[in-house]
Amino acid sequence: MRGSVILKWLLLVWLAGVILAAFFYVHPAEGFKGESSRIVFFHVPMAWIAVLAFLISCIASVMYLRRRDPKDDIRASVSAGLGLLFAVLATVTGSVFAKIMWGAYWNWDPRQTSITILLLIYAAYLALRGAVADPERRAALAAVYAILAFVTVPFLVFVVPRIYWSLHPDTIINTRGTNEFDSRYTQVLMASLAGFTGLYIWLYTLGCRIEAIRHRRRQEVL
Amino acid sequence: MNDLMGIALVTLIIWVGLFAYVYRLDRKVSRLED
Repeated sequence: MRGSVILKWLLLVWLAGVILAAFFYVHPAEGFKGESSRIVFFHVPMAWIAVLAFLISCIASVMYLRRRDPKDDIRASVSAGLGLLFAVLATVTGSVFAKIMWGAYWNWDPRQTSITILLLIYAAYLALRGAVADPERRAALAAVYAILAFVTVPFLVFVVPRIYWSLHPDTIINTRGTNEFDSRYTQVLMASLAGFTGLYIWLYTLGCRIEAIRHRRRQEVL
Repeated sequence: MNDLMGIALVTLIIWVGLFAYVYRLDRKVSRLED
């Protein structure tokens, strides 16, 4: 209990340090307009967390179909919700970057198009959960849908943007398999990825605990 | 205060505000679990 409280305060200090480092420790990267390269420290972790959350949702859905444990259904739904939230944040930060670099918030670039499709797929997952009243049927249908939805993630996030010409800059590890950012950039980005992963774990466990309480209360009413 | 410092300050305020909200929620959930 005490250890988890310390970890939470450490997360506060860690991400505050990342924010300060992103703005004052790193110099603007070459090839980017003005200070726009600093968005990378927030945009990349949010996209990474979205993919991680969708993966966890898929794994929990497979576990639900195998064990039929309501806790797995809760894990899948909480993670999909968080994945959707972080995907929206990645889209918003990406749009701000697009405005600075290319003069418009939205360009229908392959990455922008593929993230829109991904957002719609996972918004439909939440709509499906809201549309089925019977808990067991809802959990089973949502689990199958989450597995099918995750099949599209590697294509929409990693394959499609690399097939078509894109305005989007090279990813951190580019197609040549190298990292061309300087060491300070890499340090802050890695620290940001670690911090946001910690934040996801906290939000995920908290979401699962809240849903478990709701589930228990519903059982008591019945 | 220049633009960069202003954006950094706003980002920091958003993070501290988010942390405070989630931390309070976490404590409330802990009480409900007991």
